[in-house]
Order: sequence, then structure tokens, then C-alpha cells
Amino acid sequence: MSDLIQLFVNGLALGSVYALAAIGFVIVYSATGVVNFASGQFVMFGTFAGVSMLLDAGLPWAVGYLAVFVVMAVFGAGFFACLYLPLRKSPVATMIIGTVAIGILMQNVALLAFGSWPFRLPSPLDGLSVHMFGAVISAHALMVVAVTALLVGLLWFLLHRTPVGIGMRAVAQDMRAARLMGLEVNRLLALSWILAALLAGLAGLLLGPMWFADVNMGDPIALKAFAASIIGGFGSLPGAIAGGIFVGLTEVLGASYISSAYKDLIAFGIMILFLLVRPQGLFGERIQDRG
Amino acid sequence: MATRRSPLLLAAAILAVGLALSVVLSEYNLRLLNLSVITAIAVIGFNFAFGLAGLISLGHAAFVGMSAYTVAILTTATGWSPWAAIPMAVAGTVLFSALIGYPLLRLKGHYLALATLGLNVSFFIITANWLSLTGGTNGIPGIPQLRLHGYFISGERYFLRFGLVFLAAVAAAALAFQRSRHGRAMIAARDDEIAAAMSGIDVTRVRVAAFALSAACAAVAGALFAEHVRFIAPEDFGYVHSITYLAMLIVGGEGSVVGAILGAVLLTFLPEWLRFLGNAYLAFFAAMMLAILIFLPRGLVSLFRRRAPRRIAEGRS
Repeated sequence: MSDLIQLFVNGLALGSVYALAAIGFVIVYSATGVVNFASGQFVMFGTFAGVSMLLDAGLPWAVGYLAVFVVMAVFGAGFFACLYLPLRKSPVATMIIGTVAIGILMQNVALLAFGSWPFRLPSPLDGLSVHMFGAVISAHALMVVAVTALLVGLLWFLLHRTPVGIGMRAVAQDMRAARLMGLEVNRLLALSWILAALLAGLAGLLLGPMWFADVNMGDPIALKAFAASIIGGFGSLPGAIAGGIFVGLTEVLGASYISSAYKDLIAFGIMILFLLVRPQGLFGERIQDRG
Repeated sequence: MATRRSPLLLAAAILAVGLALSVVLSEYNLRLLNLSVITAIAVIGFNFAFGLAGLISLGHAAFVGMSAYTVAILTTATGWSPWAAIPMAVAGTVLFSALIGYPLLRLKGHYLALATLGLNVSFFIITANWLSLTGGTNGIPGIPQLRLHGYFISGERYFLRFGLVFLAAVAAAALAFQRSRHGRAMIAARDDEIAAAMSGIDVTRVRVAAFALSAACAAVAGALFAEHVRFIAPEDFGYVHSITYLAMLIVGGEGSVVGAILGAVLLTFLPEWLRFLGNAYLAFFAAMMLAILIFLPRGLVSLFRRRAPRRIAEGRS
């Protein structure tokens, strides 16, 4: 029983990180229609921004985290200007290859800057643990779940209660109508990319202490984020959260109780099953062929 | 490239250029050229699915791998002759693609892209872990060589001449198919599903046919790959390769057989030409690909088309 609780919390923490990555992916997708294959590399950049600020520059926690967010915001804006604007009228497949190319570029820039040796990103709660129902649970895992929950609340507030967020949702729903209503569409689109980059940065900071910071960590995260958004429902924020947690739990529980070699097959098998039987996912859009 | 060029002319051009190169190139470059020839066959196949029927499939490498593994397992574990194993591998792969095509091809756009990507990832996980059948990540070594008239097709130079025959045949057949009413039905189903259905085209059947045809070419490429390298491992068929096929087709020119070949050759050689950049070569490679996407959205073949602007109206070659 104590094993199960421990695994459950770890799965929940990993799932929260996948959920953050999936939310960033979904925000960009619903605002711009771009399926961002570089979304895993965004998370990797977040982790390595953390490595350079906290380990290399030795900044204190608060300043270091803040610096990571500034870097990620600038990065998101740059991505919008250098990739999205020139390619926004291209077909879906060109956009896919464009984001793949950017992903390869990011991965190799990170390789040149940091080398292939993995780093261990520290957490402010390193070494602390909580005893619960006879299980020993790392404080970092609990913090990940709490921070994600808080952030989802803030995101909901941003998107539903502030003019900027309502504008972003309007752009996602109908870009032309939003423009006719006098909204600054390009600024709001840029903001979606920035928001996605910030979420990925946070996911990277939270994931770093759980995995090793490795320049090749991006692709597995992107694949999990895809699976999470399909299972939860493409384009749906609650879906991304539910899907992310589902994928995290199946990964951790599947590895312990079914087979550690085939743990990823479970998530992808379920993803394909969802696509065939219920393509709109748990909470998703009804239109099957959008985009 | 000119649109009215006959398939036979294309086949002759491939054989002529390839044979000339097989005489002058060094052993190392011949190896790369062999890999490009094999990849070009897969990319021409991918063009059926993506270029003609508009299906974004990111699972193509799994078909290549399925065929390569079938050849490898039949020849090493059960002692079949490669000549018997290759048709078996192609038939099996086509059958599998048609079976999964029926449920899968109801999906469109990025849904299909992600479903096929999931398929490719699953294929990798299975081949990397099913030790008794695939040898896991150690792969399958010692695949027997092909024999023709009692002689082994060994060495890069001879294999290239052998592979070129396949490439020429596949390219000519693909070009002829593209011009036929079946090819036009695929394009029609891509451009406007409802209009195509109204004109009596069975859209689902056309899509499954395009998918199966593309899998058939992928299977030929996979069988040749197994016979060329004679050692296969799961990472030869990871989803990264599927994305590479898509990149090759877009860089070369989507919807064009010549573009598929150009893209396959260029993107196979380019990383090698960039070796002098050391660790920075992949970063440079990716930046170049981005530049092609932004400045040449119709691919490299559009460079040739621009010289003959009057021919554009006739359609894509």
C-alpha cells in the first residue's frame, strides 16, 4: 500500500510536468493552429536555462527562477517572429517540418553550449521528504503537483477573467472576427507563444530535479505531451491536464506493475485507441479535421 | 522539371546518371549514394500518401522497418533465400498497411500525423524489446547477401547498379501512375473530398490505396536496406526517419517524383558535406532546412520550374 501511494504521487508529479508541456502545446495550437513539434525542446530549454542561471551563474533561487522566465519569454517572442510569422500561411506539413527543424536547431545549440554530459538541476526542496500513510514522498514531487495546480488556476483566471486572456480566446476562436473587432491580433498571437514558452520553462525547472538535465530530453517529453493532448482532447485545456496526469500515472504505475520495457507502449496504445474510437478525446473539440 | 517527360525517359536518366556516378565515385560516396537510392524509393512511396493523397503520415519508417525485419528474420532464423523473403516482406507490409489504413485513414491532418507517429514509436518499442524475435537493441546481424546467377551482389559499386534498377522502375511506375486516372483520383480526393465523392470517386478506397502503395515502396526500400547494410537495429527505423522522409519530400518538392529523388539525395549527402563544421553541423543543417521552407516553399524542383513558367498550368510532374 505504501508503495502504491509513493508511486501514485510520483506519477502525479511526472504527469503534472507533462500537463504543463501539453498546456503550452495546446495554447499555441488553439491560437495559431500550429502543431509544435519543438514543444519538447522548449521544456529542455527551460531546464537548461535553469542550469545556466542556478548552477553556472549561481544566482539565488528567486532571482534565478525569474531570470529563467525572462529568457523563456524572450525566446517565445523570438520564435513567434522568426518561425511563425514567415511560415504562418504555409500548409500544415510545412509547419510541422519547420517546427521539427527548429527543434533540431535548439537541441544542437544546447549540445554546443552545454555538451552531452548530463547535469543535475537542484530543487529548493532537495533532500526534504514527507511521511504519509507509511510512504516516504519527496517534497519536490509534492511541490510540483501544488505548483501545477496553482498555475492551472492562474491560467484559468488569465484566460477567462482578464481582457488579454479573453482576447486570446477570441483570436483562437476566429482570427478574422477578432481582427474586425479591433483586437491587436498579432500581439495576442505573440502572447500565446510567450505563454507557451513560459509554461515550458516552468515544466523544465520542475522536471530538471526529477530527471537528469540532458540535451536529448526534449523528444520523449514532446511525445508524451502529444499523447496527453490527444487523450484529453486536442485543443482543450482541461483535457491537456487530465491527459498529462493520465500519461504520467500510466508511465510510473505501468513500469512497476506491468512492464518497465513496455511502459511507453501503454500510453501510445491508448492514444491510438482514442484516435480511432473517440478522436475528440475526453474533453476535446468535436470537429475532427480542424487545421 | 518538364511535365510531359515520359516515365521511360526518367528511368533512363536515373540509370544513366547513376551508372556514370557508380564509375567515378569513391567507395565511401558510393555507400552514401546507395543509401540515397534506397531512401529515394521510400520517399517516392511517401509521395503517394502525402504528395498525391495529402495524407500526413509520420509512420513511414515503421513500414520500411517492418519489411527489413521480415527479410532479416526469414533469412537468418528460418533460412529462406533473400529472393523469396523480399516478395514476402513486401506483401506482408502492404497487407498490414491496408488493414490499419481502413480505421486509421478516417483521421485527417495532424490527427493522422500524430496517430502514425504513435504507430512508429510503438513499432520502435516493440522491436527494441521483443528479444526472442528481433534481438532487441542488438539488432539482427549477418543477413545473407543476394545472389544473382551464382554471384553475390557484394560491394558498394555492384549493389548501386542493382539498386538503381529498382529506383528507376519505381520512379517510372510512380510517374506513370501519377498521370493515370487513379493518380488524378488521389489528387482530387485530396483537393476536395466532397467534390471527388460527387464525381464517383470512392474517397476511402482511394486513400487506402495511396497508403498501401506508399507502404509497398517503403517495403521495397526496407528490403533493399536489409540486403545492403546486412545488419538492422531498431534505431534504423525510428520516427525521426519518418520525419526525415517528410522533410526530404518538402525540400525536394511535394507532389513530384523528381523532387522526391532530389530531396532524398540532397538530405542524405548534406550532413556528410557539413562534417567539417564538427558538432555544429546538425544546427547548420536545421537552419538550412528552415531557409528552404521559408524561401522555396514549393521545394527545389520549383527552381527548375521557374525557368519554364508557361508549363506550370499543365500540372505537377
